[in-house]
Amino acid sequence: MSEPTTQAPPEDPADGRDLRPNLGAMLSRSGGLRLERRLDTRPVHEFYATVAALAITAVLIGGLVALAGVSPTDAYSALYDGAFGSVESALETLVQATPLILTGLAAAVAFRAGVWNIGGEGQFFAGAMGAYFVSTLVGPLPAPLLFVAMFVGGAIAGALWASIASVLLVRYGTNEILTTVMLNFVILYGLSWLLAGPWQSPKTPYYQTERMDAKTFLPRFIDDSRLHWGFAIALLAAVAVYFLVQRTSLGYELRGVGVNRTAAAYKGIHVGAVVIAVMAISGALAGISGAGELLGLHHRLQLDIAAGIGFTGIIIALVARLNPAGVVVVAIAFAGLLNGSTSMQVGTGIPAALVEVIEGVALFLVLLAAVACRYRLRRRRQLHD
Amino acid sequence: MGDFFTYSVILGIFVATLKIATPLLIAATGELVAESSGILNLSIEGTMTLGAFAGFVTANETGSLWLGLLGAAAGGGALALLMAIMTVTVRVNQVVAGLALNILGLGAAFFWYRSVYSAGGSIQIPVVDKFEVVSVPLLSSIPIVGEVLFEQHWLTYIALLMVPTTWMFLNRTKYGLELRAIGHNPEACDMRGVPIASRQYAAVIFGGAMAGVGGSFLSLAATGLFFPDIVAGRGWIALAIVIFGNWRATWILAGSLLFGFLEATQLALQASDVNLPYQLLLALPFVLTILALVLNRSRSGAPLSLTIPYHRGER
Repeated sequence: MSEPTTQAPPEDPADGRDLRPNLGAMLSRSGGLRLERRLDTRPVHEFYATVAALAITAVLIGGLVALAGVSPTDAYSALYDGAFGSVESALETLVQATPLILTGLAAAVAFRAGVWNIGGEGQFFAGAMGAYFVSTLVGPLPAPLLFVAMFVGGAIAGALWASIASVLLVRYGTNEILTTVMLNFVILYGLSWLLAGPWQSPKTPYYQTERMDAKTFLPRFIDDSRLHWGFAIALLAAVAVYFLVQRTSLGYELRGVGVNRTAAAYKGIHVGAVVIAVMAISGALAGISGAGELLGLHHRLQLDIAAGIGFTGIIIALVARLNPAGVVVVAIAFAGLLNGSTSMQVGTGIPAALVEVIEGVALFLVLLAAVACRYRLRRRRQLHD
Repeated sequence: MGDFFTYSVILGIFVATLKIATPLLIAATGELVAESSGILNLSIEGTMTLGAFAGFVTANETGSLWLGLLGAAAGGGALALLMAIMTVTVRVNQVVAGLALNILGLGAAFFWYRSVYSAGGSIQIPVVDKFEVVSVPLLSSIPIVGEVLFEQHWLTYIALLMVPTTWMFLNRTKYGLELRAIGHNPEACDMRGVPIASRQYAAVIFGGAMAGVGGSFLSLAATGLFFPDIVAGRGWIALAIVIFGNWRATWILAGSLLFGFLEATQLALQASDVNLPYQLLLALPFVLTILALVLNRSRSGAPLSLTIPYHRGER
């Protein structure tokens, strides 16, 4: 017996009350084909389906651009030129990809364990604040140690902030989706208070700290680009997350918890401990993202340093199907969109906000593609089920 | 310090409380209905933004604010229709679908705004003649109470009326009780012959339309303008209010008023010379919401099947 629920329902009048639109039934009535649920999904199929979803996204967005009265090829080539058209723009795309890779990994690792950490944005802030705080404490350290200390500070701050949600989840069963969303706002107002008071630069009326000491600046790879060491850290983090998830016992356990918490518990996995560990790792990654942006680009704390990086990371992780290598690729692609959208707006008049539409549509279609992968089309057999 | 506790400032805070609470209350009540059916729609922020713009553009093109409200409901409802397709029919994870549609709603609103109003290169910022405050005859002349309660916008009165209406619907009507039953135990409802999918579609679309209308309060009543950051986190606050109110219409009213009061107080604080960190008041609602989640855990009003997709015959 295959699974009864997902078969096309028999043409039985008694079943007529089912108002759920059934994909299988709709297709099977339309011709000699039948939609069947697969028992296994293959990574290759998922890959092709994702690529197809992104291709359809490109076509749909092209249609939208055409509706706005601009040739889609003009818009896309302006977008591409702005993102990857020259060495400078390509490097700038990598600059913008750096924090997105890290927040994307943060979301991916949590979601693999079925822990819905929506608090990447807040943990990003926590990380930047942690790194800043450490920098005010350990000024005289020599450079390598100083960077280690600041990044560790950022990672710990991000992990601690995320742990509020996981501890509440494990201890009281409070929904982590809701608590992480709330915590984003709490830390933002906390930072706002610090920037208006204890940490405010006395020289300006703005909500910002003083510019940090030059020796806290992350080194850059070359003189002409803003590309800093944070990018290397982000790539290393991707490799580390891959090994963690695929090659360690914690990774095995977190995948188990992600598939089925009850089953994992019966197998002897301490679900609560795994949830706490995963949330801490996720928060630490988002925290490193925030620390990297502070030390690599901004050099002073401000309220607008995150600019949605935590939320975009979630979208990236989902489009990448929670695969660490995929996160790197999708983050670079999304950063390219962000970076190229400005020149597209200048060149063709298409609003840069198109990027958000693209992100939303892409995620929407990738999700549909993932569901489609679980089915296959079969020629209708003459047998009754 | 003495200036702050004056009659006019305190009265101003109470008048503003109801005004600030209006979009929160409308969106949160809509979300309550959607969540009652077991669907958590996380895209309220994006839906409100799209509604704010759809309402604005409709009002600006047609010259009618009421048609603007209709446009806002249609915009919010359209986005929620996508949410329903994704979660009820395709049964994608609700959190993921909500986040996808959130960014889609925000992006669509910004893109649409920029394409309509900055096409010629120069950005002209259009303004609509916003809804005027409506004084209820006689009642508005009652001292204090009249000013606070009966000199408000149409939408504020509608929002306040939505509370008992929603309460009646969810607790005293067949459809409402069935909707809540679906949110708690869809399998049992299915066996009883209650059509699950169509009811969930209706609830989610209603929730989206209300979020759209709530958003349009900001553009059509509060400011007469649209700008990309107009919703500024209120969608997330509406979501918080549903939790804070423990999925009960009356407590959602209380939550909206509390959140509105804190916001109004912090605005007054910022305008005064009182040296008190207003950020504390802004963060307080979110801390209270987390506390409410913890404290209500044993008598949580959350639908038992919230976020769990229903598959006939599966567990």
